[in-house]
Amino acid sequence: MEGGILQNVILLVDSYKNSHHRQYPTGTSYIYSYFESRGGKFPYTVFFGLQYILKRWLQGPVVTKEMIQEAKELHAQHFGRNDVFNEEGWNYIVERHGGKLPLKVCAVPEGTIVPTKNVLFTVVNTDPMVPWLTSFFETLLVQVWYPMTVATNSRIQKQILHHYLSKTNDDLDPLPRSLHDYGYRGVSSVESAAIGGAAHLVNFEGTDTLAALVFLRKYYHCNMAGYSIPASEHSTVTIWGRDRETDAHRNMLEAFPDGIIASVSDSYNIWDTCEKIWGEELRELVLKRGKNGGAVYIRPDSGDPPTVVVKCLNILGDAYGTTVNSKGYKMLPPYLRVVQGDGISYKTIGKILENMKTNGWSAANVGFGSGGSLLQKVNRDTQKCAYKCSHAIIDGKGVDVYKQPITDPGKDSKKGRLALHLINGTYTTVQQEGNDPKLDMLVPVFKDGELLKDYTLQEIRERAKLCSSDINVMQFLKEDSANQDE
Amino acid sequence: MASHPVDNIILLADCYKSCHYKAYPPGTTNLYAYFESRGGKFPYTVFFGLQYILKKWLCGPVLTKAMVEEAKEVINEVFKRDDVFNEEGWNHILEHHGGRLPLRIKAVPEGTVLPTKNVLFTVESTDPAVPWVTNFFETLLVQAWYPMTVATNSHIYKQIIQHYSNLTSDNHDMVEWMMHDAGYRGVSSVETAAIAGAAHMINFKSSDTVAGSSLLRKYYHLKGVAGFSTPSSEHSTVTSWGRDNEEEAHRHMMDTYYKGDVGCVCDSYDLFKCLEETWCRELKESVLERGRRSGCVYLRPDSGDPKEIVLKSLEILGKAYGTEVNSKGYKMLPSCVRVIQADGVSHNTLWEVLEHVKAHGWSSGSVFFGAGGSLLQRVNRDTQKCAYKVSSAEVNGKCVEVYKQPITDTGKTSKKGRLTLQHDNGNITTIQSGQGDPSKDLLVTVFENGVLLKDYTFQEVQDRASLSPSHFNIEEYLHNTAS
Repeated sequence: MEGGILQNVILLVDSYKNSHHRQYPTGTSYIYSYFESRGGKFPYTVFFGLQYILKRWLQGPVVTKEMIQEAKELHAQHFGRNDVFNEEGWNYIVERHGGKLPLKVCAVPEGTIVPTKNVLFTVVNTDPMVPWLTSFFETLLVQVWYPMTVATNSRIQKQILHHYLSKTNDDLDPLPRSLHDYGYRGVSSVESAAIGGAAHLVNFEGTDTLAALVFLRKYYHCNMAGYSIPASEHSTVTIWGRDRETDAHRNMLEAFPDGIIASVSDSYNIWDTCEKIWGEELRELVLKRGKNGGAVYIRPDSGDPPTVVVKCLNILGDAYGTTVNSKGYKMLPPYLRVVQGDGISYKTIGKILENMKTNGWSAANVGFGSGGSLLQKVNRDTQKCAYKCSHAIIDGKGVDVYKQPITDPGKDSKKGRLALHLINGTYTTVQQEGNDPKLDMLVPVFKDGELLKDYTLQEIRERAKLCSSDINVMQFLKEDSANQDE
Repeated sequence: MASHPVDNIILLADCYKSCHYKAYPPGTTNLYAYFESRGGKFPYTVFFGLQYILKKWLCGPVLTKAMVEEAKEVINEVFKRDDVFNEEGWNHILEHHGGRLPLRIKAVPEGTVLPTKNVLFTVESTDPAVPWVTNFFETLLVQAWYPMTVATNSHIYKQIIQHYSNLTSDNHDMVEWMMHDAGYRGVSSVETAAIAGAAHMINFKSSDTVAGSSLLRKYYHLKGVAGFSTPSSEHSTVTSWGRDNEEEAHRHMMDTYYKGDVGCVCDSYDLFKCLEETWCRELKESVLERGRRSGCVYLRPDSGDPKEIVLKSLEILGKAYGTEVNSKGYKMLPSCVRVIQADGVSHNTLWEVLEHVKAHGWSSGSVFFGAGGSLLQRVNRDTQKCAYKVSSAEVNGKCVEVYKQPITDTGKTSKKGRLTLQHDNGNITTIQSGQGDPSKDLLVTVFENGVLLKDYTFQEVQDRASLSPSHFNIEEYLHNTAS
């Protein structure tokens, strides 16, 4: 197994940034930048993932003479010229700072729910000799868009599930495991799987993305952040042959006689499988499992989800009987559930749950799984994440810096040195100047190579939990759907 | 600097795969699976990236005793039961194979451009005691969807630019420089940036994502770098001068990087004012002078409706710098100045921009492009419907065909039996059920029992990918997929 491709911190950036040290006004000593979500799909974001970036790439002595040499050679070829690479600047960092980065990063605590258009973190150089360093690490620090956006998308779905469970179930017990991460194969790399999978676990406890579990151990002090259950896949069912599908499922039940298992049931004909195999041929085994406190989750994996889910519930309900809960909705017996892991996103999960509700079924009958939609179908524009310079010290004087393109007011950036205040339960971004620093929610998390805060997943989950001041998610879905139709 | 978050190959698989060794029928001794694009956005794919996965994760004695111990602890905890983890199976691989994976992987050569719905690689177990290994590594091997899809996505960009260059330019040398990768910050991780950066470099030479070159040097025998860039400003280096000093900022850029090419972002406040007053008046002589030294200034708008912005920018510059009409009847700016549009670029907007400027008499040769998210991040496994399925197995000595055929979605039907990839009347096609001719198989064994058997160089990958896909018409494709 090979080590990391990039062991050189100087290569963690868009190459044009190597040319910037010579572009700032002469006399520039400090560049101060900030990061925000400028709006986007969701009206708030869950801040998460900066700590990984700091720990993995920026903490401690990260620049060496060897790295400088390697980067110098590469960039000479890359630019086809020798007057770009900032050899002097990097040597200064090694000689004066022992290879540690003279930067200060202040951020909102991880797990905090913040409405968009607010500062989430700020970065400034601490040594006036290297003001270019602030923007140099923009590329890497902006990658926090990913864990943040995954955590947000995941939490919106949690709100939707919470809504339906509240309406149609006796309790909220199923919530933490109601949306399972299936995305390991559908992301762009193993590293992304780890990051994205971890972001989902801020809100939920069900995952198959093992990378996320070791990630959270390594970077967020959580020994075991998620759980899974034994489950079949198409290969383990179809290998028995079309006419031995019953044997395939029976084998799963017998190989794992206790506890909960899941079995994918749409290899050939989902309706027959539910009715004849689960409803008749394996009924005894399922009942026996139920008596032992175990359960079977039956998994369709194709077709129109709202239709398929309700049809499966109906077939299974006919075979096993149902009870009515305190909210007046039907429940399958506790040893039987459906898990829908195909076509799930924040847009579709509500439709499925609504269709179930309309047909008298409690939300607690179905677990969900999501892969690509959870971990891959997001991008930096989903939450319009951006990092911009807002203040500089030039010739000893502080100047506000901003862009304001007439060609797009949505791209206006904030000015000045920023703080995040919480006033009467509402977050607002204000100027540091003229405001009490004690009210600033941004906390120094990194300075001169040292990590100043070390968040645990536990505290992050605490901050990110659902609460009464959350946005009305059903209203959000309505508006979101109306926007799509335009 | 800490290492990669995952350093244990047993943890490279979805949790549930740890239980599958018990789910196969007793007497199973071989599992054979294949990977394909089942269709999707693009009618063809450029195969790339498997070698990275093999070299990084699967080659050599990759399994160690420490990994087995760690995985046992993790898997037991994830499932809260101890009858899932296959300790015996993993120990077998340690003891009988010295930690090397008993798998045989055959794949179409990297860089090959071929139609969808064809087998791209096959994986089969080589040790009857541990057939489950084939599908254990599905999770990791399926991640090949990404470099493949980015390479294809990027290839389509090249087709579009080439098409307009053919129609409106005399010279096509610059085509491979006309789509710049600006996606490093917009991807989900550094590893992803490296993979995607490399994939784009198959088709284009222009990139800021240096991580791509690092990957190609380490895994594809690249010497030097495969992507190139130019000193360029960003908003912070312009806006830090203050609104009233924008011209000063641009002049400083021109003086600091006196030689060669430079890129300048122009929309910090008022794009058109910047073009008209600064670039067409105050700094015009400076630009022309650089041109006499064979340098070029790339002026970058970064907001607004791309086609309108690009056309207007060309018109403003054309008025000040003059234009020449080429042999195809289209206007060109002098070689010292170009427009580069790197905001909101996608296949559709690229097409719109080039069509729009053409309709107004402009050659595509005066416009360069850059893309970030749409090049490297806005793709997913469903873009090319990539999937890995077992199609054949040996159970109790008998070879059986394995497939799914859900009535709820015929698009998810999988191929059957052992597969070959062959030429057939000028087309590439997949033959199922062992009916193919192994001597004509285009699939090549690339990995066997821990050993890499093919080691493609980046040069070979580029050479294969430079071929245009047969029966593909870019204009038709764009019309059909216009959204």
